[in-house]
Amino acid sequence: MNSEAGPPSGDPGESSGGTPEGDSVDKPSRRLHPAAMLIGALRTVRRWVGALVIPGGAFLASQGFGVRTIILALAGVIVVAALAAVWGFLSWRATTYVVSGGAFHLRQGVVQKSERTIPLDHVQSVDTVQGIIQRLFGVVEVRVETAGGGGNDPDASLSALSRDAAGTLRREIESSRREPSGKEEEEIGPDIVRKLTTRELLIAGATSGQIGVALSLVAVVSQLFDEFFSEAFVERVVTSFAPRSITAVLLIVAALGLFAWLLAIAGTVLAHAGFTLARDGDYLYIRRGLLERREATIPLSRIQAVRIVEGALRQPFGLAALRVESAGYGENAGVSTVLFPLLPRREVDEFLRAAAPEFAGEPSLERLPSRALRRYVFRAILSAVPLMVVVAAVAVFGQYAGLPVPGCGAGGCGFGTVSLFAFEVPLGALLAPLLFVPAGFYGWIQFRDVGWMLSGGRLFARSRVLARTTTVAPRRRLQSRSIVSSPFQRRLRLATLQARVASGGGGAEVQVVDIGSDAARSLVERLGPGYHTA
Amino acid sequence: MKDEPSERLDPRARTLWRIVGALNALPLLAGGAAGSWALLRLADVSFLVGVLPAVAAVALLLLMVVVTPTLRWRRWRYEIREDEVDLQRGILWVARTLVPLARIQHVDTRSGPLQRRFGLATVVFYTAAGANQIPELSAPVAAGVRDRIAALTRFQDEL
Repeated sequence: MNSEAGPPSGDPGESSGGTPEGDSVDKPSRRLHPAAMLIGALRTVRRWVGALVIPGGAFLASQGFGVRTIILALAGVIVVAALAAVWGFLSWRATTYVVSGGAFHLRQGVVQKSERTIPLDHVQSVDTVQGIIQRLFGVVEVRVETAGGGGNDPDASLSALSRDAAGTLRREIESSRREPSGKEEEEIGPDIVRKLTTRELLIAGATSGQIGVALSLVAVVSQLFDEFFSEAFVERVVTSFAPRSITAVLLIVAALGLFAWLLAIAGTVLAHAGFTLARDGDYLYIRRGLLERREATIPLSRIQAVRIVEGALRQPFGLAALRVESAGYGENAGVSTVLFPLLPRREVDEFLRAAAPEFAGEPSLERLPSRALRRYVFRAILSAVPLMVVVAAVAVFGQYAGLPVPGCGAGGCGFGTVSLFAFEVPLGALLAPLLFVPAGFYGWIQFRDVGWMLSGGRLFARSRVLARTTTVAPRRRLQSRSIVSSPFQRRLRLATLQARVASGGGGAEVQVVDIGSDAARSLVERLGPGYHTA
Repeated sequence: MKDEPSERLDPRARTLWRIVGALNALPLLAGGAAGSWALLRLADVSFLVGVLPAVAAVALLLLMVVVTPTLRWRRWRYEIREDEVDLQRGILWVARTLVPLARIQHVDTRSGPLQRRFGLATVVFYTAAGANQIPELSAPVAAGVRDRIAALTRFQDEL
């Protein structure tokens, strides 16, 4: 391959370039949109600013802010900007790409030339991202992602292409992978499967994964109400001003919680506004984002598993989110991708039938044997012990520091101490073990929610870690299956079933904890390659 | 599903693991000795209390050198079947893993300096969801296993 495509001097258009002779390249190499110069320059400036701002600032401070130093600083800024502009131009001139000979070729580099060749078979997806600068110029950044290869391997990224050029490139790359059906689709090709409405977007934000924030908000508010309505509080309001400051503190905390919650909503809105899922044959297209508009392609053949996630705040309203585990997909290795941020649970099946039929279907699930219940309850209680210790410690500390600490919950039973072995022990410390009750209840709910089934060549597994998640993974996508059993599990004839699917650079796991050991063995057998469904 | 995979690791694995265990236990032993010395010399404690850290370190050393390698070796089994690799391992937490050959992308053998002294090697095979390994096979057996997996992988159809 030639290291450089002959640049047509003076022509800033992205359409034509030199034609390297002497190899299989038969199409002209193309340039990026000229906006790439600015983007490249800005990137350079950003890198330099990071390196220069501290020494520069120190230098200025040491000189004092006289006229001379300001002129010097301005001159420095101008020099940096000019260098960045030149660099942006040079790197724009050096960057060309072409699809030919069954591969995508990208040439880059001003000083150190590089040429990256990605065989089209290895291209996982062609995504477009539109940052704010790109939006100003009406161009998009195109990222060519490859399958596997590890997450830190940077795939090819073209910082600015016009919409037309991006569409052409996407078609060139994708056309090699599908049979040349006569249907030559333009931008309108894919059928829209579902679009997120504004109302759904706001609900998704309000009930989003920021459950910690929401919970702390609820906790603070309930505590505030406790404070507000407890008799003791009213008494103290009458007698002194000190409690008022406590109220003020609580109000501030509540406001902070509310603020965090609003931030969570805003984050969801930014990321998922206008979320649209479309399907065209074997490809799913996701378009989303408010300021930075993102478009992503997921080939159906790369989806390894679908997860139906019913968040703790969403399940009561019959809502769920869908995620996919996709091989080598996404910007970070091992991150699963949102397939759709919010939809009613009962419409999930219909949605999957339209979007990814291989994963649709809702068989009734097998439950765990009842002897597994005590393990779930025990684990939940065990995990609540640190929380209990904290509550007790706060109560004791509060007692001795002379602060009023709420003794119990919404009942408003006030504060007090009881004598225990001649020690004055705050009621709160004694009540801490009461946390066993909700913890055990949570364990029971977890136990009740677990289910598994092998149906239509797919493994269905449901479990709960706050959110109730149902994972659907086709048998032929399972990379390995394991049965793990601890001595305690073996005594109860229980085991943990784990199946791994490819996802990003590493993999993702589907597991059923405390399934009966016989069921686990037969399931592992039926999920294997030697077993043929009748 | 068979009760257990058929093949065991090379018996020399136990000796190797004992050496590795002893090497790993050295800092522990040093820490225990230092703790005992500090307690006896610097703090005013009775002899029985003072020697506790050293005794605990020695007990851990014995566990790592004598007990664990034997149990681990006894549990470790593998089998390369026509369509799957079957592994069993673990002392308390016993794991049985089945990896379809059709999912295996590539397979290596590797051996560290200690392993080479014993003529042992580890077979590592990779799927799209991570790697699995069969440790401490004698070098010719490991090469055979590697070639067998590679050959069988070639003949697997997609499920």
